[in-house]
Amino acid sequence: MSYIEIQKLSYSYNEKTNVLDDINIDIEKGEWIAVLGHNGSGKSTLAKTLVGLLEPKTGDITIDGITLGEETAYEIRKKIGIVFQNPDNQFVGVTVKDDIAFGMENLCVPREEMLEKINFYAKKVNMLDFLDKEPATLSGGQKQRVAIAGILAMQSDIIIFDEATSMLDPYSKEELIQYIKTLHKDGLTIIMITHDINEALLADRILVMNKGKVFAFQETEKIMKDKETFTSSNLELPVALELANSLAQDDKFKEIRDKLWEYALTK
Amino acid sequence: MKSVIIGQYIPGKGLFYKLDPRTKIIAVFLLMVSVFLFERIEQLLIALGVATLLLLVGKINIIRVIKGLKPIMILLIFTFIFQIMLNKQGQKVVEHDMYFTLFTLLFLVIAFILWRVMVKITKFRFTFFFLFVISIYLTLRYVDYGQTIIQPFNFAIYEDGITMSIFVVIRLLIIITLSTVLTLTTKPTDLTQGLEKLMHPLKKIGFDSESFALIISISLRYIPTIFDEANKIMMAQASRGADFSEGKLKDKLRQVISLLVPMFIIAFIRSEELANAMESRNFVPGEPRTRIHELTMSYRDTLATLFSFSVLILSIVLKVI
Repeated sequence: MSYIEIQKLSYSYNEKTNVLDDINIDIEKGEWIAVLGHNGSGKSTLAKTLVGLLEPKTGDITIDGITLGEETAYEIRKKIGIVFQNPDNQFVGVTVKDDIAFGMENLCVPREEMLEKINFYAKKVNMLDFLDKEPATLSGGQKQRVAIAGILAMQSDIIIFDEATSMLDPYSKEELIQYIKTLHKDGLTIIMITHDINEALLADRILVMNKGKVFAFQETEKIMKDKETFTSSNLELPVALELANSLAQDDKFKEIRDKLWEYALTK
Repeated sequence: MKSVIIGQYIPGKGLFYKLDPRTKIIAVFLLMVSVFLFERIEQLLIALGVATLLLLVGKINIIRVIKGLKPIMILLIFTFIFQIMLNKQGQKVVEHDMYFTLFTLLFLVIAFILWRVMVKITKFRFTFFFLFVISIYLTLRYVDYGQTIIQPFNFAIYEDGITMSIFVVIRLLIIITLSTVLTLTTKPTDLTQGLEKLMHPLKKIGFDSESFALIISISLRYIPTIFDEANKIMMAQASRGADFSEGKLKDKLRQVISLLVPMFIIAFIRSEELANAMESRNFVPGEPRTRIHELTMSYRDTLATLFSFSVLILSIVLKVI
């Protein structure tokens, strides 16, 4: 049994069209999944149904053996955290410390334990010097790191990043990606919704969504070789891979092609 | 990004900073009640003296407190004038005729212009307002030549009028000083938490003090964010030719609407997203939560509460006697 199992999941805002349409996915513990897709392809809706913010029309979501429902939403949310796109709109506390504590307060963690955990996780995301700062004095990247610390402090081991880097400057973006890498190394399961194909390349597997359906769900390397997947879901490949794919048709350039692959996938 | 200062809180050390917010709220409340119970001017003057002494003991910047008085200065002056003019009890202290002639009118216009000009070029707005009021009195009293507009009328000041007006002013002064000390030395978040804990017993009649405190603290947290937003929208409008500083009142109103509509829409989107973020972090309204902030009382709090209680008892005793 997989860690996260999604079976026959559908969701719709109205009766006519399904925003999510018959989704079946299994995700293993410790995996890094990137979710790619056009605007309106259902990426964010998928994320919201996973944490129980939206109730699916049909289908089941099972996380670590618990099936998501009204009664179990509280238990599920202990395991799964979500970092949203706008850093400002998820900062609940008046200070960094308060914000990291918010989730733990809801879980009724005793105060002494909270203080310990706040220090521990603030150090982990490199925000220890900012504990008493107010959100207005922080950069977007710092706020996102505080959000991560808040989720980690709740002992969640699945983190969803819902376009969490899209409102950040290039430097903060790179920094956040580095944090996600260390989280992945620590064994957390990561689901990263993104528009940026270069970010998606870091994942173990890529899920391409199109019009609410799973268009492709394969290992990163496999999916990148398949030009069709991308062009038909209106996604663009990075230049290096585009080049590599066109060189692939000729065996003469095999060496260059492999180099480009290596470059694109390790960057 | 510049941060906006909310409330009057100034970080510092000193006696009042070390007190628990609950103690401060209770003490201020008790002291205000006792100020209303004092009935003699000597008692009030002593109370004012004690209040000043407390400020000194607490190492509070007196200038700050005086600045806190500014917004109600006009109110103070008006209460003073009305009390003097309308209270007709006790012995007459002054009585004389008042005149209103063409020359009076001329003098009044000059005084008015002088007042407006002085307010524009100097900082002492209230001093000049006060001078203006006095000059109205003096002109009405002494300028008696020229064509009469209104028949001379009688004007009298009574003993009680004077005492009552001083009374009211001192009372207001003490009350404002007390509340200024409270807001100067207590962080808005601590203040809300103190209120929350004090209002906790109201849960029995269905008042959810925890949600109330959370609402306040989230509002406080979002004030700077929304200020930033307003700035951005104003700049966006300005870049398309909107001018927020000039034009008639009607134009200004229209421009404010063009600022408010997008701000409301953004605020709604924001609150939706924030609700999602809070829910995904397991927030359930009304459910029990632990707190990272803890309020602790020390011997100082006991002393402060004892002090304010004894002042209240003293005031009651004095009233009964």
